[in-house]
Amino acid sequence: MDTLAETSWDVVIAGTGLAQSLLALSLSRSGKKVLHLDQNPYYGGSEAAFSLDEAQEWVNSVNQHPGQSPFEDAKVITYPLDSSQPSSEGGDHPSDARPKLAASRAYTLSLSPHFLYTRSQLISVLISSKVYRQLEFMAVGSWWIHSEPSAENSELGATRSFHRVPGNREDIFADTHISMKSKRTLMRFLRHISKPADEDSEETEEDLSAPFGDYLSSKFGIPEDLQSPLLSLSLSQQTLEDTSASHAVPRIKRHLASIGALGPGFGGVISKYGGGSEILQVACRASAVGGGVYALDTGIQSLTDKESSDEYPVELQLSNGESVRTKSAIGTVWDLYPTQERPLSCAKFTRSITVVASDFTSLFPVTVEGAPVPASAILMFPGETLGSPQSPPVYLQVHSSDTGDCPRQQSIIYGSISMTGPEGQTLLELAVDRLIKAEGPQAVALWSMRYNQQGRLSNDGSSPTIQAHSPHVYSFPPPSLDLAFEDENIDMIKQAWLKVAGDEDPDDFMIFDDREGADDM
Amino acid sequence: MSESAGANAPKPSSSVKLVLLGEAAVGKSSLVLRFVNNDFQENKEPTIGAAFLTQKCTLPSRTIKFEIWDTAGQERFASLAPMYYRNAQAALVVYDVTKPSSLTKAKHWVAELQRQASPGIVIALVGNKLDLTNDGGDASAVQDVESESAAPESDEAAGEEGEEQDAAPGDARKVSTREATGYAEEEGLLFFETSAKTGTNVVDVFTAIANAIPESSLKTGRGAAGAGQTALGSRSGEDSRVNLGDRNAATAKEGCAC
Repeated sequence: MDTLAETSWDVVIAGTGLAQSLLALSLSRSGKKVLHLDQNPYYGGSEAAFSLDEAQEWVNSVNQHPGQSPFEDAKVITYPLDSSQPSSEGGDHPSDARPKLAASRAYTLSLSPHFLYTRSQLISVLISSKVYRQLEFMAVGSWWIHSEPSAENSELGATRSFHRVPGNREDIFADTHISMKSKRTLMRFLRHISKPADEDSEETEEDLSAPFGDYLSSKFGIPEDLQSPLLSLSLSQQTLEDTSASHAVPRIKRHLASIGALGPGFGGVISKYGGGSEILQVACRASAVGGGVYALDTGIQSLTDKESSDEYPVELQLSNGESVRTKSAIGTVWDLYPTQERPLSCAKFTRSITVVASDFTSLFPVTVEGAPVPASAILMFPGETLGSPQSPPVYLQVHSSDTGDCPRQQSIIYGSISMTGPEGQTLLELAVDRLIKAEGPQAVALWSMRYNQQGRLSNDGSSPTIQAHSPHVYSFPPPSLDLAFEDENIDMIKQAWLKVAGDEDPDDFMIFDDREGADDM
Repeated sequence: MSESAGANAPKPSSSVKLVLLGEAAVGKSSLVLRFVNNDFQENKEPTIGAAFLTQKCTLPSRTIKFEIWDTAGQERFASLAPMYYRNAQAALVVYDVTKPSSLTKAKHWVAELQRQASPGIVIALVGNKLDLTNDGGDASAVQDVESESAAPESDEAAGEEGEEQDAAPGDARKVSTREATGYAEEEGLLFFETSAKTGTNVVDVFTAIANAIPESSLKTGRGAAGAGQTALGSRSGEDSRVNLGDRNAATAKEGCAC
């Protein structure tokens, strides 16, 4: 068996998250000798996707090694057959017809689920690098906002207590819940933000420093009950009061501009089989095809940058006992300095993943003729609808079985809230429970897990950047907690690529020709 | 590969994802190169430098278009990703008939496929480098491989240390056909001995795989037919996939991708 120490490397990349994997791909295609390591026996790090058994192993590992990953306080909750369905309807199920979990491998559960807006730079990169051909994408369809179920409402299923958020003018016209007067205010807002930037030149100085809620009321007279739906389009992780208009407005613009870019009726896509996890695996494979060397279950134990003019100034001791030399090293702090204590000024999230025996068909309507059936929907629960007006909203991303994340007749609910502790957990559980109850007695939770995650919250307005630890060692920032892929990541990866590759033309980033003799890449 | 009677009508065509597995330097890529280009390169660099290669295989009733995925070296440090196995309908597990340890490794890969791949995957075990044995080199000799190399009973116990005793002068064979066949039968694998160098049996392997893939699991288009967890529902299925290529045109027009 050959060894890693035989070669001197241009770069060692530690950790196989999406950013590292795209960097590895770009560098391997720039002709660099890339060694790509992961301390875990699986790809993806904090963006990994797991089967049920792997998820259980991961939970054990997180709890046994606190501080060595961005995660903590992980727990799997199983639902014993008898108590899974406490409602009186339970008796209708003969015990063998009760919905059951499928085999562990039938699930691909994503630790950091996110989707891509259709105009995302990541999609441009996947196309220009030809990597997209090995991926399958499904549409992210409707946004829904939770409201207390009303008695006279005759709609079926989950839509009883969820209203579809209008995403364009046609939606607003068609909406039966909104008064004519309110519709006019919404139209005015949409017209305002979808104006092309250059026509806007007289008022480029628009003041966006106010909280988003105040901005909407004072400038457009939008009533309070329509402000949360608009907030959900921005995917803000904070309340209306705590979200600034400068954060929300460009993100709502992004949302509106994305609809239709890849086909009618949707503005977002997710990769099948675990989303980002699948994309990063494809990127790593493409990097390997380009000559990158891969070793899982191989971490960095210690790292020394001699800061000298040696050709290979960085020495790494690996967990497999080998010692390798490289011109540079890059990774997250968790991968580069696994044993070091770090003061982290990260945001914290509570996340949950719930496997549900239900299709949630009503959440995935085809709203425009010719549109694909969406495989994912976004639900937002403003704090006040969960009895906690000061709390940030809960977001649920529901994935149908078309995502490949779960077997048919089941769905995955990925929940998140930007607070931790018992209160965050309770709100998250309440939201998931409301959705399942709203769907009716046949919808049953089969399995779930929850965990805390540290990461970056995009609400603070800062862009992700590479940090230099020593002349030849760089770190990536903690991963984003955003529900949508942040395009700023691509700029960051490009920065890193230019730093390591040195003499490349920035315009060539991730643009690869088809390879000779092959249909692909 | 005879043509069917009504050969004028186009035959149904299906894509099949085939993954290659096996120890380094057993000739995985050379087998594919022989099959795809009918070519052989003596001192080939490791890996073929393509995400996958494609080649058609024409059967009497249909055409199978193989998408052949190379490991790209990711097997070396146990770093093959789940996406490599995803929706693979066939696998070629290759060992070197002159290297007993490569059969041990092949058995490991078969176990890994049984653990990770779709339950219905067709696996072919292939002993390559037949040209280095007395049986090899000449295609006409292949049919006799089994009888010629049927070794004495004592071979069974010879194990991995090699079976020098039945190696005739100039014969580098260290893995008996009988040992490998026995294993392949136990595990329900297709079995061939090949030479990528001379071409012996190479097309036969792919034809046998094409024939072994159940009609029911064949659909047109890629990744659609994986058994098990693929879960393409009656509700939407393939039609709901989004083609990212569509954006090429759209964004080119607008001159901006974001």
